[in-house]
Amino acid sequence: MKSTAVSTVFIIDDDRGMRQAIHDLVESVGLRAESFATGEEFLGTKHIGRPSCLVLDVRLPQMSGLDFQRRLAEGGLRIPIIFVTAHGDIPMSVKALKSGAVEFLTKPFRDQDLLDAIQQALEWDGIAQKEQAEVADLQKRHQALTLREREVMTLVVSGMLNKQIASEIGASEATVKVHRGNVMHKMQASSVVDLVRMADKLKLSPVK
Amino acid sequence: MANDDVQKTLADLSRDLQESKARLEEAQRVAHFGHWEWDLETDVVVWSDETYRIFGFSPQERPMDLATVRAMVHAEDRERLYQGVDEDLLAGVRPAAEFRIVRPSGEVRTVYSLTSDRWSSSPGDAKRDASGRPYKLFGTIQDITERKRTEEALKQSYFYLSEGQRLGHMGSWAFNDSGHYWSEELYRIYGLDPKNGAPTVEQYLALIHPQDRASMAETIKRMQEEQRGFDQIERIIRPDGQLRYVRAVAVPVVEQAVFKGFVGTTMDITEHQLLTEELRRERAYLSEAQSLTHIGSWATNFYTKRVFHLSDETFRLHGFDPRNGPIPLERFFDTIHPEDRPAVSAALENAIHARADYDIREFRVCYPEGTIRFLRTIGHHNRSGELGEYVGITMDVTERKQAEQEREKLRQLEADLAHINRVNMMGELAATLAHEIKQPIAASITSANACLRWLAHDPPDLDRARAAAVRIEQDGNRAADVIDRLRSFYKKGTPPEPGIVDLKEIIREMTALLRKETVRHSIKIRSDLNEDMPNVLADRVQLQQVFMNLMLNAIEAMKDTGGKLTITSRRTPSGQLIVSIEDTGVGLPAGDTERIFDAFHSTKPQGTGMGLAITRSIVEAHGGRVWATANQEAGATFHFTLPARTEADA
Repeated sequence: MKSTAVSTVFIIDDDRGMRQAIHDLVESVGLRAESFATGEEFLGTKHIGRPSCLVLDVRLPQMSGLDFQRRLAEGGLRIPIIFVTAHGDIPMSVKALKSGAVEFLTKPFRDQDLLDAIQQALEWDGIAQKEQAEVADLQKRHQALTLREREVMTLVVSGMLNKQIASEIGASEATVKVHRGNVMHKMQASSVVDLVRMADKLKLSPVK
Repeated sequence: MANDDVQKTLADLSRDLQESKARLEEAQRVAHFGHWEWDLETDVVVWSDETYRIFGFSPQERPMDLATVRAMVHAEDRERLYQGVDEDLLAGVRPAAEFRIVRPSGEVRTVYSLTSDRWSSSPGDAKRDASGRPYKLFGTIQDITERKRTEEALKQSYFYLSEGQRLGHMGSWAFNDSGHYWSEELYRIYGLDPKNGAPTVEQYLALIHPQDRASMAETIKRMQEEQRGFDQIERIIRPDGQLRYVRAVAVPVVEQAVFKGFVGTTMDITEHQLLTEELRRERAYLSEAQSLTHIGSWATNFYTKRVFHLSDETFRLHGFDPRNGPIPLERFFDTIHPEDRPAVSAALENAIHARADYDIREFRVCYPEGTIRFLRTIGHHNRSGELGEYVGITMDVTERKQAEQEREKLRQLEADLAHINRVNMMGELAATLAHEIKQPIAASITSANACLRWLAHDPPDLDRARAAAVRIEQDGNRAADVIDRLRSFYKKGTPPEPGIVDLKEIIREMTALLRKETVRHSIKIRSDLNEDMPNVLADRVQLQQVFMNLMLNAIEAMKDTGGKLTITSRRTPSGQLIVSIEDTGVGLPAGDTERIFDAFHSTKPQGTGMGLAITRSIVEAHGGRVWATANQEAGATFHFTLPARTEADA
């Protein structure tokens, strides 16, 4: 649990008793908890930078939990969701899980089931956040390349030899070698394989 | 010449004379013709034998004189006769007269007499007195009574004929070589003056209505050329412009194979024709009306199978085409749907034997092409008539029937909807309640988990554990509150409003209300209620709900099999009233029968599990008890008690 000491569990449940109970349960295992009665309240707070997850009641007064899940995805906010419901049925849980929910729990649930699901969700979110940070770093490096260097990088990761690249961009092979050296350095790539992996993460489109 | 010869000749002559005289007398006798001589000087009257007979005497019975003769002339004719004779004689004319005589027997005869003063072979010999009156008269007298009678009869019959023609508006005519005869009435019919004589063919045709003229001209032409008779109705226009209908009949006269011309009659049938047309029109209207309303009329004897009247619509109602002519009564019966035939036959036979009216409100007939229609037929026994004689109507009630079925379907749908609504509402209610109860329970479980975890901390976080325990208590109370609300919900939040309630009436109401359901599932409801069942003091609406729930429950249990729902009541020695609702359905679930009264305990796929719970709540609120027992054969019986509080306690 120490590695996730800064993790936060967000709870959205319109039933105050339930909300408080889950909040307390989460805190009893040393996690940070923030609880809200509605989805709107949750959207009004900042919650970035550390692994987090959402414990969401399926039946919310204004908007169903499933609708809220979709709205978050549409808004680009990726956060693992654990659904809890007082009367869940199979189709509903299937729908939720298909849309990327971590777990679908029926009230009353075993506390360990919820805590396990939260643990799982936070781990996933930690990985996802690390991934996101790495991509952001790569993007920064990629931004630092000149237009010519970006062009050369794309051609390199597509598997071309220096000679081919030279003819492709109408420059001498020596010039291509210089650009290539710059790309490897600026991108902090240790090998071409490493550079290909970076290009993949950056989702660079291959040349035609 | 010998004397003998003379004698002989004389004898011969005498014999001849005798013979002549005998012949004359025989001739007179045969012809009823007599003669007489009257000597005015001696006033001796000599009569022939036949004259005696004419006057009612035996020949030569007695001598005659003038006074006797005069006395025998009919008093009414006497003066006229003698005056006439005198005048004629003076005028030198031979008197001829017809007069009546009265025979001694009182019989009246009519005679014709001719008088002559020239009786001898030389007419100039007549002896006359100074005034020129002859001294001697000769005369004949003929009994013309028979001829007279015949004439009278003829005259009479002509009168009758003519009068008959006039009364019957029938004229007669003859057309032959000797000319063209029209009876008086015929002139009258055509509005012509008899003085102008019978019209020519051209004149006649001019009287015919222009639209009928060509056909009549053709008929006359054919009649003349082919010597053929005819019988036809035509319209004529009288000279005064009046339109009349006449029926003209012509028959050729053939005597011994020789064509002699035509005789015919013409009858004015205007009134008859107008009446016929009116009747025909009315018949058409009636037929049209029957066709529009699909009501047919008929009159028949079911016993003798004789049919007096069958309107076109009656044919059509049974799928027959009236244009195809009459159809035996049995074939009408044959069109009745085989399933309905016994009932119709029985109803008819009962009515016929009871000589009573009948009304068969609904039966089906099958048309050849497969269509089925619903008919109703009403018959009135013809009391003055024979056994089995009925007059009646038959009508098509298919549309009404279909409308009824539609309505029934609609009612069914409404009932179904109401039922579904009820189930849905209860389902909704149950889901809501389940959620509301689950929330606090789940919350308290979670809080208990948290509490345990706080206690498991090292050192235990007692503050947090206590806070969790407080929440557990709160949530527990919250759950209890929800259950209280649930109870008050089906009590409608108000305590029972007791009033005097007649259970029999409630059972009647509920039976009527559930009739559709019971009919649909072939369930018979029977109530066997204690005659002296007292009224109870209860909340009427809630008791209705109890009966409704228990009866619906019973129907539900029998809906796939049909069955019998029996409601009984009795009083216990302690004065309690026990009502039992017994069904022959699927019976009680195995296990604890008490559980079926628990809320949300349902053994039915679409059940809410609330019906019996509500029932128990209501019965208990009334101080009663409800329980179920399994029947020995099939099904279950639900009982409930109500304290028999009567009006006196109210």
